[in-house]
Amino acid sequence: MIRLEHVSKSYPHRREPALKGVSLQIAPGEFVYLTGPSGAGKTTLLRLLYGAEMPSKGRVVVGGTDMSRLAPRHLPLLRRRLGLVFQDFRLMHRRSVFENVALSLEVAGTDRRTVERRVGEVLEQVKLSHLAQAPADTLSGGEQQRVALARALAPGPDLILADEPTGNLDPSNALAMMRLLVGDYVGGATVLVATHDPTLLSLVRGGRVVHLERGRLEESS
Amino acid sequence: MRRRGVMGRALRQMGEDLWLQGVAISTLAVALAIMGAYLALCLNLNQAAGRLLPGPTLLVVTDPQVRPEQGRELASELARLPGVASAGYVDQQEAMIRFRRQLGPQADLLDDLETNPLPNAIELVLSPDLASPPELAAHIKNMAGVSDVVTGRPWLQRLERALRAGGELAVALGILLFLAVVLVTSNTVRLAVHVRRRELELMALVGAGGGYMRGPFLVEAVLQGLAAAGLASLLLWGLFALLAAPDALPWGLRLGRILAFPALLPAALGGLAVVSGLMGGFLGVGRSLHPREVL
Repeated sequence: MIRLEHVSKSYPHRREPALKGVSLQIAPGEFVYLTGPSGAGKTTLLRLLYGAEMPSKGRVVVGGTDMSRLAPRHLPLLRRRLGLVFQDFRLMHRRSVFENVALSLEVAGTDRRTVERRVGEVLEQVKLSHLAQAPADTLSGGEQQRVALARALAPGPDLILADEPTGNLDPSNALAMMRLLVGDYVGGATVLVATHDPTLLSLVRGGRVVHLERGRLEESS
Repeated sequence: MRRRGVMGRALRQMGEDLWLQGVAISTLAVALAIMGAYLALCLNLNQAAGRLLPGPTLLVVTDPQVRPEQGRELASELARLPGVASAGYVDQQEAMIRFRRQLGPQADLLDDLETNPLPNAIELVLSPDLASPPELAAHIKNMAGVSDVVTGRPWLQRLERALRAGGELAVALGILLFLAVVLVTSNTVRLAVHVRRRELELMALVGAGGGYMRGPFLVEAVLQGLAAAGLASLLLWGLFALLAAPDALPWGLRLGRILAFPALLPAALGGLAVVSGLMGGFLGVGRSLHPREVL
Protein backbone atom coordinates (compact mmCIF):
# COMPACT_ATOMS: atom_id res chain seq x y z
CA MET A 1 0.00 0.00 0.00
CA ILE A 2 2.85 2.36 0.94
CA ARG A 3 6.43 2.14 -0.23
CA LEU A 4 9.17 4.61 0.61
CA GLU A 5 12.56 4.03 -1.02
CA HIS A 6 15.55 5.94 0.40
CA VAL A 7 13.44 9.03 0.91
CA SER A 8 15.09 12.24 2.08
CA LYS A 9 13.44 15.59 2.56
CA SER A 10 15.30 18.85 3.07
CA TYR A 11 13.98 22.39 3.49
CA PRO A 12 15.86 25.45 2.21
CA HIS A 13 16.20 27.18 5.58
CA ARG A 14 16.89 24.12 7.71
CA ARG A 15 20.41 22.79 8.18
CA GLU A 16 19.35 19.22 9.00
CA PRO A 17 17.13 17.27 6.61
CA ALA A 18 13.70 16.40 8.03
CA LEU A 19 14.01 12.85 6.67
CA LYS A 20 17.23 10.99 5.89
CA GLY A 21 17.16 7.95 3.60
CA VAL A 22 13.90 6.54 4.93
CA SER A 23 12.77 3.21 3.48
CA LEU A 24 9.47 1.72 4.58
CA GLN A 25 6.90 -0.71 3.26
CA ILE A 26 3.35 -1.06 4.59
CA ALA A 27 1.08 -3.80 3.29
CA PRO A 28 -2.64 -3.32 2.56
CA GLY A 29 -4.79 -3.64 5.71
CA GLU A 30 -1.84 -3.16 8.08
CA PHE A 31 -2.13 -0.98 11.20
CA VAL A 32 1.09 0.95 11.85
CA TYR A 33 2.10 3.37 14.57
CA LEU A 34 4.64 5.96 13.50
CA THR A 35 6.26 7.14 16.72
CA GLY A 36 8.98 9.60 17.59
CA PRO A 37 9.50 12.84 19.47
CA SER A 38 8.29 16.19 18.17
CA GLY A 39 10.42 17.27 15.22
CA ALA A 40 11.44 13.70 14.32
CA GLY A 41 9.87 14.03 10.84
CA LYS A 42 6.54 12.21 11.35
CA THR A 43 4.39 15.00 9.91
CA THR A 44 6.81 15.42 6.98
CA LEU A 45 6.51 11.73 6.21
CA LEU A 46 2.70 11.92 6.26
CA ARG A 47 2.74 15.06 4.07
CA LEU A 48 4.81 13.13 1.52
CA LEU A 49 2.15 10.42 1.54
CA TYR A 50 -0.77 12.74 0.83
CA GLY A 51 1.13 14.80 -1.69
CA ALA A 52 1.53 18.07 0.19
CA GLU A 53 5.31 17.70 -0.19
CA MET A 54 7.62 16.12 -2.72
CA PRO A 55 10.71 14.19 -1.59
CA SER A 56 14.12 15.77 -2.16
CA LYS A 57 15.49 12.30 -2.90
CA GLY A 58 14.06 8.81 -3.21
CA ARG A 59 10.66 7.50 -4.21
CA VAL A 60 7.26 7.56 -2.52
CA VAL A 61 4.63 5.14 -3.81
CA VAL A 62 1.07 5.25 -2.43
CA GLY A 63 -1.48 2.71 -3.60
CA GLY A 64 0.65 1.95 -6.65
CA THR A 65 1.03 5.62 -7.58
CA ASP A 66 4.51 7.13 -7.73
CA MET A 67 3.97 10.52 -6.09
CA SER A 68 6.87 12.12 -7.99
CA ARG A 69 5.21 11.28 -11.30
CA LEU A 70 1.71 12.28 -10.26
CA ALA A 71 0.51 15.40 -12.08
CA PRO A 72 -1.02 18.00 -9.73
CA ARG A 73 -4.37 17.70 -11.52
CA HIS A 74 -4.52 14.00 -10.59
CA LEU A 75 -3.66 14.58 -6.93
CA PRO A 76 -7.34 15.10 -5.91
CA LEU A 77 -8.18 11.65 -7.32
CA LEU A 78 -5.52 10.07 -5.11
CA ARG A 79 -6.64 12.03 -2.05
CA ARG A 80 -10.20 10.73 -2.47
CA ARG A 81 -8.77 7.28 -1.71
CA LEU A 82 -7.19 8.57 1.51
CA GLY A 83 -8.74 9.43 4.86
CA LEU A 84 -6.87 12.17 6.71
CA VAL A 85 -7.19 12.94 10.41
CA PHE A 86 -5.27 15.80 12.05
CA GLN A 87 -4.52 16.87 15.59
CA ASP A 88 -6.37 20.18 15.10
CA PHE A 89 -9.44 18.42 13.56
CA ARG A 90 -9.61 20.79 10.55
CA LEU A 91 -13.35 21.18 10.44
CA MET A 92 -15.42 23.86 8.75
CA HIS A 93 -16.51 25.59 11.92
CA ARG A 94 -19.57 27.39 10.60
CA ARG A 95 -20.93 24.22 8.97
CA SER A 96 -22.95 21.46 10.56
CA VAL A 97 -21.56 18.04 11.48
CA PHE A 98 -23.46 16.57 8.53
CA GLU A 99 -21.97 19.08 6.06
CA ASN A 100 -18.46 18.47 7.38
CA VAL A 101 -18.75 14.73 6.91
CA ALA A 102 -20.55 15.07 3.56
CA LEU A 103 -17.72 17.22 2.16
CA SER A 104 -15.42 14.26 1.46
CA LEU A 105 -18.21 12.66 -0.62
CA GLU A 106 -19.44 15.81 -2.35
CA VAL A 107 -16.02 16.74 -3.71
CA ALA A 108 -16.00 13.38 -5.50
CA GLY A 109 -19.39 14.12 -7.10
CA THR A 110 -21.29 11.48 -5.09
CA ASP A 111 -25.05 11.68 -5.60
CA ARG A 112 -27.29 13.16 -2.90
CA ARG A 113 -28.96 9.92 -1.78
CA THR A 114 -25.62 8.12 -1.36
CA VAL A 115 -24.22 11.09 0.56
CA GLU A 116 -27.18 11.08 2.95
CA ARG A 117 -27.02 7.32 3.47
CA ARG A 118 -23.26 7.13 3.90
CA VAL A 119 -23.02 10.16 6.23
CA GLY A 120 -25.80 8.63 8.36
CA GLU A 121 -23.85 5.36 8.58
CA VAL A 122 -20.53 6.87 9.63
CA LEU A 123 -22.15 9.24 12.12
CA GLU A 124 -23.80 6.17 13.63
CA GLN A 125 -20.38 4.48 13.85
CA VAL A 126 -18.78 7.41 15.66
CA LYS A 127 -21.94 7.85 17.79
CA LEU A 128 -22.73 11.39 16.64
CA SER A 129 -26.03 10.87 14.82
CA HIS A 130 -27.86 13.01 17.37
CA LEU A 131 -25.54 15.96 16.60
CA ALA A 132 -25.81 15.81 12.78
CA GLN A 133 -27.29 19.29 12.46
CA ALA A 134 -25.18 20.92 15.19
CA PRO A 135 -22.59 23.48 14.06
CA ALA A 136 -19.11 21.93 14.31
CA ASP A 137 -17.76 24.71 16.52
CA THR A 138 -20.30 23.95 19.27
CA LEU A 139 -18.90 20.44 19.84
CA SER A 140 -16.32 19.33 22.41
CA GLY A 141 -12.78 18.42 21.30
CA GLY A 142 -13.52 14.70 21.44
CA GLU A 143 -16.68 15.12 19.39
CA GLN A 144 -14.90 17.29 16.83
CA GLN A 145 -12.21 14.65 16.37
CA ARG A 146 -14.91 12.01 15.87
CA VAL A 147 -16.45 14.24 13.18
CA ALA A 148 -13.03 14.45 11.53
CA LEU A 149 -12.73 10.66 11.66
CA ALA A 150 -16.24 10.26 10.23
CA ARG A 151 -15.26 12.57 7.37
CA ALA A 152 -12.16 10.44 6.75
CA LEU A 153 -14.17 7.19 6.84
CA ALA A 154 -17.13 8.34 4.74
CA PRO A 155 -15.67 7.67 1.25
CA GLY A 156 -14.43 4.21 2.35
CA PRO A 157 -10.71 5.02 1.96
CA ASP A 158 -7.95 2.52 1.17
CA LEU A 159 -5.54 4.31 3.49
CA ILE A 160 -6.11 6.33 6.67
CA LEU A 161 -3.36 8.74 7.72
CA ALA A 162 -3.78 10.15 11.22
CA ASP A 163 -1.35 12.81 12.43
CA GLU A 164 -1.40 12.99 16.25
CA PRO A 165 -5.15 12.26 16.28
CA THR A 166 -5.30 12.21 20.08
CA GLY A 167 -2.98 15.18 20.65
CA ASN A 168 -5.80 17.50 21.75
CA LEU A 169 -7.92 14.90 23.56
CA ASP A 170 -8.19 13.83 27.18
CA PRO A 171 -7.27 10.14 27.98
CA SER A 172 -10.82 8.79 27.75
CA ASN A 173 -11.49 10.51 24.42
CA ALA A 174 -8.06 9.42 23.17
CA LEU A 175 -8.89 5.79 23.98
CA ALA A 176 -12.28 6.09 22.25
CA MET A 177 -10.65 7.57 19.17
CA MET A 178 -8.01 4.84 18.97
CA ARG A 179 -10.65 2.13 19.36
CA LEU A 180 -12.46 3.61 16.39
CA LEU A 181 -9.26 3.55 14.35
CA VAL A 182 -8.42 -0.08 15.07
CA GLY A 183 -11.99 -1.34 14.96
CA ASP A 184 -13.94 -2.82 12.10
CA TYR A 185 -15.14 0.66 11.18
CA VAL A 186 -12.14 1.34 8.98
CA GLY A 187 -13.33 -1.41 6.64
CA GLY A 188 -10.00 -3.12 6.07
CA ALA A 189 -8.16 0.10 5.22
CA THR A 190 -4.46 0.48 5.89
CA VAL A 191 -3.98 2.77 8.91
CA LEU A 192 -0.91 4.83 9.73
CA VAL A 193 -1.08 6.73 13.02
CA ALA A 194 1.67 9.22 13.82
CA THR A 195 2.10 9.99 17.51
CA HIS A 196 4.76 11.30 19.88
CA ASP A 197 2.89 9.80 22.85
CA PRO A 198 4.23 6.32 23.81
CA THR A 199 1.28 5.73 26.17
CA LEU A 200 -0.96 5.53 23.12
CA LEU A 201 0.70 2.23 22.14
CA SER A 202 -0.34 0.68 25.42
CA LEU A 203 -3.89 1.96 25.03
CA VAL A 204 -4.46 -0.09 21.93
CA ARG A 205 -2.18 -3.06 21.28
CA GLY A 206 -1.61 -5.04 18.15
CA GLY A 207 -0.13 -2.59 15.69
CA ARG A 208 3.28 -2.58 14.10
CA VAL A 209 5.45 0.23 15.48
CA VAL A 210 7.84 2.23 13.35
CA HIS A 211 10.01 4.78 15.16
CA LEU A 212 11.44 7.94 13.66
CA GLU A 213 14.36 9.66 15.38
CA ARG A 214 15.87 12.83 13.91
CA GLY A 215 14.71 11.91 10.43
CA ARG A 216 15.93 8.29 10.53
CA LEU A 217 13.71 5.24 10.75
CA GLU A 218 13.94 2.43 13.34
CA GLU A 219 11.49 -0.46 13.31
CA SER A 220 10.47 -1.49 16.86
CA SER A 221 8.12 -4.43 16.54
CA MET B 1 -30.16 17.81 3.81
CA ARG B 2 -29.97 19.58 0.46
CA ARG B 3 -26.80 19.17 -1.58
CA ARG B 4 -25.69 22.46 -3.08
CA GLY B 5 -24.61 23.09 -6.63
CA VAL B 6 -21.99 25.65 -7.58
CA MET B 7 -24.53 28.50 -7.53
CA GLY B 8 -25.83 27.46 -4.11
CA ARG B 9 -22.32 27.24 -2.70
CA ALA B 10 -21.43 30.64 -4.19
CA LEU B 11 -24.53 32.29 -2.70
CA ARG B 12 -23.85 30.67 0.63
CA GLN B 13 -20.25 31.82 0.81
CA MET B 14 -21.36 35.31 -0.24
CA GLY B 15 -23.95 35.35 2.54
CA GLU B 16 -21.37 34.30 5.11
CA ASP B 17 -19.18 37.37 4.51
CA LEU B 18 -21.49 40.27 3.86
CA TRP B 19 -18.90 42.90 4.73
CA LEU B 20 -16.59 41.41 2.11
CA GLN B 21 -19.41 41.58 -0.44
CA GLY B 22 -19.98 45.23 0.47
CA VAL B 23 -16.31 46.08 0.01
CA ALA B 24 -16.02 44.10 -3.25
CA ILE B 25 -19.22 45.44 -4.84
CA SER B 26 -18.56 49.08 -3.92
CA THR B 27 -14.94 48.89 -5.15
CA LEU B 28 -16.06 47.31 -8.42
CA ALA B 29 -18.92 49.81 -8.75
CA VAL B 30 -16.45 52.72 -8.60
CA ALA B 31 -14.19 51.06 -11.19
CA LEU B 32 -17.15 50.29 -13.47
CA ALA B 33 -18.56 53.80 -13.02
CA ILE B 34 -15.26 55.25 -14.24
CA MET B 35 -15.33 52.83 -17.17
CA GLY B 36 -18.99 53.69 -17.81
CA ALA B 37 -18.35 57.44 -17.73
CA TYR B 38 -15.58 56.93 -20.24
CA LEU B 39 -17.81 54.79 -22.48
CA ALA B 40 -20.62 57.35 -22.28
CA LEU B 41 -18.21 60.14 -23.19
CA CYS B 42 -16.86 58.16 -26.16
CA LEU B 43 -20.35 57.30 -27.41
CA ASN B 44 -21.49 60.92 -27.13
CA LEU B 45 -18.38 62.20 -28.90
CA ASN B 46 -18.82 59.60 -31.62
CA GLN B 47 -22.40 60.73 -32.18
CA ALA B 48 -21.29 64.36 -32.27
CA ALA B 49 -18.61 63.52 -34.83
CA GLY B 50 -21.23 61.67 -36.88
CA ARG B 51 -23.38 64.79 -36.94
CA LEU B 52 -20.40 66.97 -37.79
CA LEU B 53 -19.14 64.88 -40.68
CA PRO B 54 -21.46 64.07 -43.55
CA GLY B 55 -19.46 60.98 -44.43
CA PRO B 56 -17.19 60.52 -47.44
CA THR B 57 -18.25 62.72 -50.38
CA LEU B 58 -17.25 63.42 -53.97
CA LEU B 59 -18.06 66.53 -55.99
CA VAL B 60 -18.56 65.80 -59.72
CA VAL B 61 -18.21 68.96 -61.87
CA THR B 62 -20.18 68.69 -65.12
CA ASP B 63 -19.07 70.06 -68.51
CA PRO B 64 -20.36 73.63 -69.17
CA GLN B 65 -22.42 72.40 -72.15
CA VAL B 66 -24.34 69.85 -70.04
CA ARG B 67 -27.87 71.19 -69.50
CA PRO B 68 -29.63 70.89 -66.08
CA GLU B 69 -31.94 68.04 -67.32
CA GLN B 70 -28.89 66.11 -68.55
CA GLY B 71 -27.14 66.86 -65.28
CA ARG B 72 -30.07 65.40 -63.29
CA GLU B 73 -30.02 62.30 -65.53
CA LEU B 74 -26.28 61.95 -64.92
CA ALA B 75 -26.92 62.25 -61.16
CA SER B 76 -29.46 59.38 -61.39
CA GLU B 77 -26.92 57.34 -63.30
CA LEU B 78 -24.21 58.03 -60.70
CA ALA B 79 -26.57 57.14 -57.84
CA ARG B 80 -26.88 53.64 -59.31
CA LEU B 81 -23.11 53.04 -59.18
CA PRO B 82 -21.91 50.58 -56.54
CA GLY B 83 -20.47 52.43 -53.54
CA VAL B 84 -22.61 55.53 -54.03
CA ALA B 85 -25.16 56.14 -51.27
CA SER B 86 -26.84 59.16 -52.88
CA ALA B 87 -26.34 61.70 -55.63
CA GLY B 88 -27.84 65.20 -55.87
CA TYR B 89 -27.62 67.71 -58.74
CA VAL B 90 -26.64 71.21 -57.62
CA ASP B 91 -26.90 73.81 -60.41
CA GLN B 92 -24.76 76.95 -60.36
CA GLN B 93 -27.60 79.10 -58.91
CA GLU B 94 -28.10 76.73 -56.00
CA ALA B 95 -24.31 76.59 -55.51
CA MET B 96 -24.21 80.41 -55.36
CA ILE B 97 -27.02 80.48 -52.76
CA ARG B 98 -25.10 78.01 -50.60
CA PHE B 99 -21.88 80.00 -51.02
CA ARG B 100 -23.64 83.19 -49.93
CA ARG B 101 -25.04 81.38 -46.92
CA GLN B 102 -21.56 80.17 -45.96
CA LEU B 103 -20.09 83.67 -46.29
CA GLY B 104 -22.80 85.10 -44.03
CA PRO B 105 -22.23 88.86 -43.38
CA GLN B 106 -19.45 88.91 -46.00
CA ALA B 107 -21.84 87.72 -48.74
CA ASP B 108 -21.94 91.31 -50.09
CA LEU B 109 -18.51 90.67 -51.59
CA LEU B 110 -20.23 88.54 -54.24
CA ASP B 111 -22.49 91.39 -55.37
CA ASP B 112 -19.77 92.79 -57.65
CA LEU B 113 -19.53 89.57 -59.68
CA GLU B 114 -20.92 90.06 -63.20
CA THR B 115 -21.35 86.34 -63.87
CA ASN B 116 -21.75 83.31 -61.64
CA PRO B 117 -18.32 81.59 -61.72
CA LEU B 118 -19.52 78.41 -59.96
CA PRO B 119 -20.04 75.30 -62.11
CA ASN B 120 -23.00 72.94 -62.19
CA ALA B 121 -22.09 69.92 -60.12
CA ILE B 122 -23.34 66.67 -58.64
CA GLU B 123 -22.76 65.92 -54.94
CA LEU B 124 -22.14 62.24 -54.22
CA VAL B 125 -22.35 60.74 -50.73
CA LEU B 126 -20.35 57.50 -50.71
CA SER B 127 -21.14 54.34 -48.75
CA PRO B 128 -18.90 54.05 -45.67
CA ASP B 129 -17.93 50.50 -46.74
CA LEU B 130 -16.67 51.57 -50.17
CA ALA B 131 -13.30 49.89 -50.61
CA SER B 132 -11.55 52.40 -52.90
CA PRO B 133 -12.96 55.92 -53.37
CA PRO B 134 -10.03 56.96 -55.67
CA GLU B 135 -10.90 54.16 -58.12
CA LEU B 136 -14.52 55.27 -58.20
CA ALA B 137 -13.42 58.88 -58.74
CA ALA B 138 -11.19 57.82 -61.66
CA HIS B 139 -14.07 55.85 -63.19
CA ILE B 140 -16.48 58.81 -62.91
CA LYS B 141 -13.92 61.23 -64.37
CA ASN B 142 -13.92 59.18 -67.61
CA MET B 143 -17.70 59.35 -67.96
CA ALA B 144 -19.31 61.56 -70.63
CA GLY B 145 -20.35 65.02 -69.43
CA VAL B 146 -17.93 65.02 -66.47
CA SER B 147 -15.34 67.78 -66.40
CA ASP B 148 -13.69 67.11 -63.00
CA VAL B 149 -14.05 65.13 -59.80
CA VAL B 150 -13.13 66.81 -56.49
CA THR B 151 -12.25 64.12 -53.96
CA GLY B 152 -13.15 65.73 -50.65
CA ARG B 153 -11.98 68.86 -49.00
CA PRO B 154 -8.49 68.75 -47.43
CA TRP B 155 -9.61 70.13 -44.01
CA LEU B 156 -12.32 67.49 -43.87
CA GLN B 157 -9.81 64.76 -44.66
CA ARG B 158 -7.53 66.09 -41.90
CA LEU B 159 -10.45 66.15 -39.48
CA GLU B 160 -11.38 62.59 -40.45
CA ARG B 161 -7.79 61.46 -39.90
CA ALA B 162 -7.69 63.21 -36.52
CA LEU B 163 -11.00 61.60 -35.51
CA ARG B 164 -9.76 58.19 -36.61
CA ALA B 165 -6.57 58.63 -34.55
CA GLY B 166 -8.69 59.84 -31.63
CA GLY B 167 -10.87 56.75 -31.99
CA GLU B 168 -7.85 54.45 -31.89
CA LEU B 169 -6.55 56.26 -28.81
CA ALA B 170 -9.98 55.94 -27.20
CA VAL B 171 -10.00 52.17 -27.85
CA ALA B 172 -6.50 51.82 -26.35
CA LEU B 173 -7.53 53.81 -23.27
CA GLY B 174 -10.71 51.74 -23.02
CA ILE B 175 -8.67 48.52 -23.05
CA LEU B 176 -6.44 49.91 -20.30
CA LEU B 177 -9.47 50.85 -18.22
CA PHE B 178 -10.97 47.40 -18.77
CA LEU B 179 -7.70 45.77 -17.65
CA ALA B 180 -7.83 47.93 -14.53
CA VAL B 181 -11.36 46.63 -13.83
CA VAL B 182 -10.10 43.03 -14.33
CA LEU B 183 -7.27 43.76 -11.88
CA VAL B 184 -9.70 45.16 -9.30
CA THR B 185 -11.90 42.07 -9.74
CA SER B 186 -8.97 39.69 -9.39
CA ASN B 187 -7.90 41.47 -6.20
CA THR B 188 -11.35 41.18 -4.65
CA VAL B 189 -11.38 37.47 -5.55
CA ARG B 190 -7.91 37.10 -4.04
CA LEU B 191 -9.22 38.71 -0.87
CA ALA B 192 -12.15 36.27 -0.81
CA VAL B 193 -9.75 33.33 -1.34
CA HIS B 194 -7.57 34.59 1.51
CA VAL B 195 -10.54 34.88 3.88
CA ARG B 196 -11.54 31.28 3.09
CA ARG B 197 -8.02 29.91 2.94
CA ARG B 198 -8.43 27.26 5.67
CA GLU B 199 -11.68 26.00 4.22
CA LEU B 200 -10.15 25.72 0.76
CA GLU B 201 -7.12 23.87 2.08
CA LEU B 202 -9.44 21.46 3.80
CA MET B 203 -11.29 20.89 0.54
CA ALA B 204 -7.98 20.22 -1.22
CA LEU B 205 -7.04 17.71 1.48
CA VAL B 206 -10.23 15.68 1.02
CA GLY B 207 -9.72 15.58 -2.75
CA ALA B 208 -11.62 18.54 -4.15
CA GLY B 209 -10.64 19.28 -7.73
CA GLY B 210 -9.84 22.71 -9.12
CA GLY B 211 -13.32 23.13 -10.62
CA TYR B 212 -15.08 22.35 -7.34
CA MET B 213 -13.05 24.99 -5.52
CA ARG B 214 -12.88 27.60 -8.31
CA GLY B 215 -16.53 27.44 -9.39
CA PRO B 216 -18.06 29.37 -6.49
CA PHE B 217 -15.40 32.10 -6.74
CA LEU B 218 -16.07 32.61 -10.44
CA VAL B 219 -19.83 32.73 -9.85
CA GLU B 220 -19.25 35.10 -6.93
CA ALA B 221 -17.06 37.39 -9.07
CA VAL B 222 -19.69 37.47 -11.83
CA LEU B 223 -22.55 38.16 -9.39
CA GLN B 224 -20.53 40.89 -7.68
CA GLY B 225 -19.73 42.35 -11.10
CA LEU B 226 -23.40 42.40 -12.11
CA ALA B 227 -24.43 44.03 -8.83
CA ALA B 228 -21.61 46.57 -9.24
CA ALA B 229 -22.66 47.22 -12.87
CA GLY B 230 -26.21 47.98 -11.68
CA LEU B 231 -24.91 50.31 -9.00
CA ALA B 232 -22.51 52.03 -11.42
CA SER B 233 -25.32 52.51 -13.99
CA LEU B 234 -27.52 54.04 -11.31
CA LEU B 235 -24.70 56.37 -10.23
CA LEU B 236 -24.03 57.50 -13.81
CA TRP B 237 -27.71 57.95 -14.59
CA GLY B 238 -27.98 60.17 -11.51
CA LEU B 239 -24.87 62.10 -12.51
CA PHE B 240 -26.15 62.70 -16.06
CA ALA B 241 -29.56 63.77 -14.72
CA LEU B 242 -27.86 66.18 -12.33
CA LEU B 243 -25.65 67.71 -15.01
CA ALA B 244 -28.60 68.09 -17.37
CA ALA B 245 -30.57 70.08 -14.77
CA PRO B 246 -31.02 73.78 -15.70
CA ASP B 247 -29.14 75.15 -12.68
CA ALA B 248 -26.55 72.40 -12.39
CA LEU B 249 -23.67 74.35 -13.90
CA PRO B 250 -22.74 78.04 -13.78
CA TRP B 251 -23.06 80.51 -16.68
CA GLY B 252 -26.12 78.72 -18.02
CA LEU B 253 -24.12 75.74 -19.24
CA ARG B 254 -26.38 72.78 -20.05
CA LEU B 255 -24.39 69.59 -20.50
CA GLY B 256 -27.63 67.76 -21.25
CA ARG B 257 -27.60 69.37 -24.70
CA ILE B 258 -24.38 67.67 -25.71
CA LEU B 259 -24.22 64.66 -23.37
CA ALA B 260 -26.91 62.06 -22.96
CA PHE B 261 -27.03 58.88 -20.85
CA PRO B 262 -26.68 56.07 -23.44
CA ALA B 263 -29.59 53.64 -23.14
CA LEU B 264 -27.30 50.67 -23.79
CA LEU B 265 -24.80 51.65 -21.10
CA PRO B 266 -26.23 49.42 -18.31
CA ALA B 267 -26.18 46.41 -20.66
CA ALA B 268 -22.64 47.25 -21.80
CA LEU B 269 -21.47 47.57 -18.18
CA GLY B 270 -23.22 44.30 -17.32
CA GLY B 271 -21.44 42.54 -20.18
CA LEU B 272 -18.09 44.02 -19.16
CA ALA B 273 -18.75 42.98 -15.56
CA VAL B 274 -19.40 39.37 -16.61
CA VAL B 275 -16.25 39.18 -18.75
CA SER B 276 -14.09 40.94 -16.16
CA GLY B 277 -15.60 38.72 -13.45
CA LEU B 278 -14.60 35.57 -15.31
CA MET B 279 -11.14 36.89 -16.20
CA GLY B 280 -10.52 38.41 -12.77
CA GLY B 281 -11.90 35.27 -11.12
CA PHE B 282 -9.45 33.03 -12.98
CA LEU B 283 -6.54 35.38 -12.27
CA GLY B 284 -7.54 35.91 -8.63
CA VAL B 285 -7.90 32.24 -7.80
CA GLY B 286 -4.84 31.34 -9.85
CA ARG B 287 -2.21 29.27 -8.10
CA SER B 288 -3.59 29.97 -4.65
CA LEU B 289 -5.72 26.83 -5.03
CA HIS B 290 -2.86 24.59 -6.05
CA PRO B 291 -3.50 21.14 -4.49
CA ARG B 292 0.05 20.83 -3.14
CA GLU B 293 -0.17 24.13 -1.29
CA VAL B 294 -1.90 23.01 1.89
CA LEU B 295 -0.95 23.50 5.51
